[in-house]
Amino acid sequence: MFGLIGHSTSFDAARRKALELGFDHIADGDLDVWCSAPPQLVEHVEITSPAGPTIKGAYIDSCFVPEMLGRFKTARRKVLNAMELAQKKGINITALGGFTSIIFENFNLLQHQTIRSTTLEWERFTTGNTHTAWVIARQVENNAPALGIDLKTAKVAVVGATGDIGSAVCRWLSMRTGVGELLLVARRQQPLLDLQTELGGGRILSLEEALPEADVVVWVASMPKTLEIEPSSLRQPCLMIDGGYPKNLDTKVAGNGIHVLKGGIVEFCRDIGWTMMQLAEMEKPQRQMFACFAEAMLLEFERCHTNFSWGRNNITLEKMDFIGAASVRHGFSTLNISPSLQISIA
Amino acid sequence: MTTLNAPEATAVEGMDALPDFTTDAYKDAYSRINAIVIEGEIEAHDNYISLGTLIPEHKDELAKLARMEMKHAKGFTSCGRNLGVQADMPFAKDFFGPLHGNFQTALQEGKVVTCLLIQALLIEAFAISAYHIYIPVSDPFARKITEGVVKDEYLHLNYGQEWLKANFESSKEELFQANKANLPLIRSMLEQVASDAAVLHMEKEDLIEDFLIAYQEALDEIGFTSREKARMAAAALAG
Repeated sequence: MFGLIGHSTSFDAARRKALELGFDHIADGDLDVWCSAPPQLVEHVEITSPAGPTIKGAYIDSCFVPEMLGRFKTARRKVLNAMELAQKKGINITALGGFTSIIFENFNLLQHQTIRSTTLEWERFTTGNTHTAWVIARQVENNAPALGIDLKTAKVAVVGATGDIGSAVCRWLSMRTGVGELLLVARRQQPLLDLQTELGGGRILSLEEALPEADVVVWVASMPKTLEIEPSSLRQPCLMIDGGYPKNLDTKVAGNGIHVLKGGIVEFCRDIGWTMMQLAEMEKPQRQMFACFAEAMLLEFERCHTNFSWGRNNITLEKMDFIGAASVRHGFSTLNISPSLQISIA
Repeated sequence: MTTLNAPEATAVEGMDALPDFTTDAYKDAYSRINAIVIEGEIEAHDNYISLGTLIPEHKDELAKLARMEMKHAKGFTSCGRNLGVQADMPFAKDFFGPLHGNFQTALQEGKVVTCLLIQALLIEAFAISAYHIYIPVSDPFARKITEGVVKDEYLHLNYGQEWLKANFESSKEELFQANKANLPLIRSMLEQVASDAAVLHMEKEDLIEDFLIAYQEALDEIGFTSREKARMAAAALAG
């Protein structure tokens, strides 16, 4: 069985969903009530791969909402309790979705392996970052040419280049795709220099310097709320892949030759009888999902019960090849810019 | 996914520091918390003995559980003594008063399901969650004792769970009613103890969530659906 740990995109959305599911009393509660609400296994699903096997899974809502990010202990408890529930339910491989893996990493939850009487078995969990990185890299390869951008000569900026997903995307674009030039953007200098050495290239720039030069911008970091982007300063056409969480890039910049594509999203080849992706505001919630969730499904399809994506900067090209091949084999495709847009550009 | 503006761990490390066990404030709060724990264990002893009259075929097993509870009470008494704290037993008697009253009424009416819900589910889940939260912030002496106790309490929760599971269909309606009548009492007990617990570095939010996890796990094991469980637990959340 595979598992997905997710949460609502906002407190309001969580309350609406709780009401819809018939959890009226919780829905009426204020944020303090939600801070004390235990994780819930809200849905079971069954998925059949076009390659044959059928797998079962469960969706666990951690009852975390982004409004709790400022409450360190609450956020930590929500993640650990949801992980404990997944393990107690005997789920083989569970993906940490949305803010779950961010909290796990940033709050260093590895040091909290014992939850009450349960010792968490890390091999039962995956961040899903390998599949997310592979999907984002493929989204660049698939969509840039559709906009008339020749990747062999294009400048591709990766914002958040030194993160787990960002560094993997850089590796792929540099060694597999062969882009014109990589523009590396991140906050800290030393990891950038290390990445540049590892890649044997790439130019380190500030965000302000990189944006006007880039034909493609891969965001694998959330935008600071105060950030303003002047669309006229960007190249046209410009492909922007919004791979951060939450996905809010299209509210900052879109239109006039700037094409924003939700990054790290995949679509399954048939409808899945679940309701939970409505929470994530997917365009086609019956088929679309975060690639990190799909990674748990792929690992279950492949009977690969291990923490496939774990820690930082452990994503190799070989791992991306493995998960990418599984993704294609089991009926997932990457989200692309709309066909109508492609026709109009053509 | 790592984000640029995600919160950083550096600013929040060190928040789980131990309290100073020697201060007057700590000892004052401990006198009530310790008393609650001791009283809870003594009442649990009495309740399991009483349950033996309602379930005579399990009398010996229940007597064994009761003996364990009395041993726990002695262990926690020594925890207070170790810190030089006199447990405020009159406070603890009042604290358990309403729940004690409900148990006694159910006992007199021969309502075994209600008695089991109060003692083996609610009180045990309350104890398990509180002990789990107490252990990391306890003094070394109390930690050792509490770690031993918490293992036993799972056995007690398990007893009620298994009985109710075996009699699920016939117990269901009474469980709904007993939950509705008694879970709010647990909630108000948590509220009542929150400020003293905070002095011991045990937060109300943690206590409620951990209690609900233990309680919902038991309900799950007994056979309730997710929605039924959430609805039952809602009586505790909506304060």
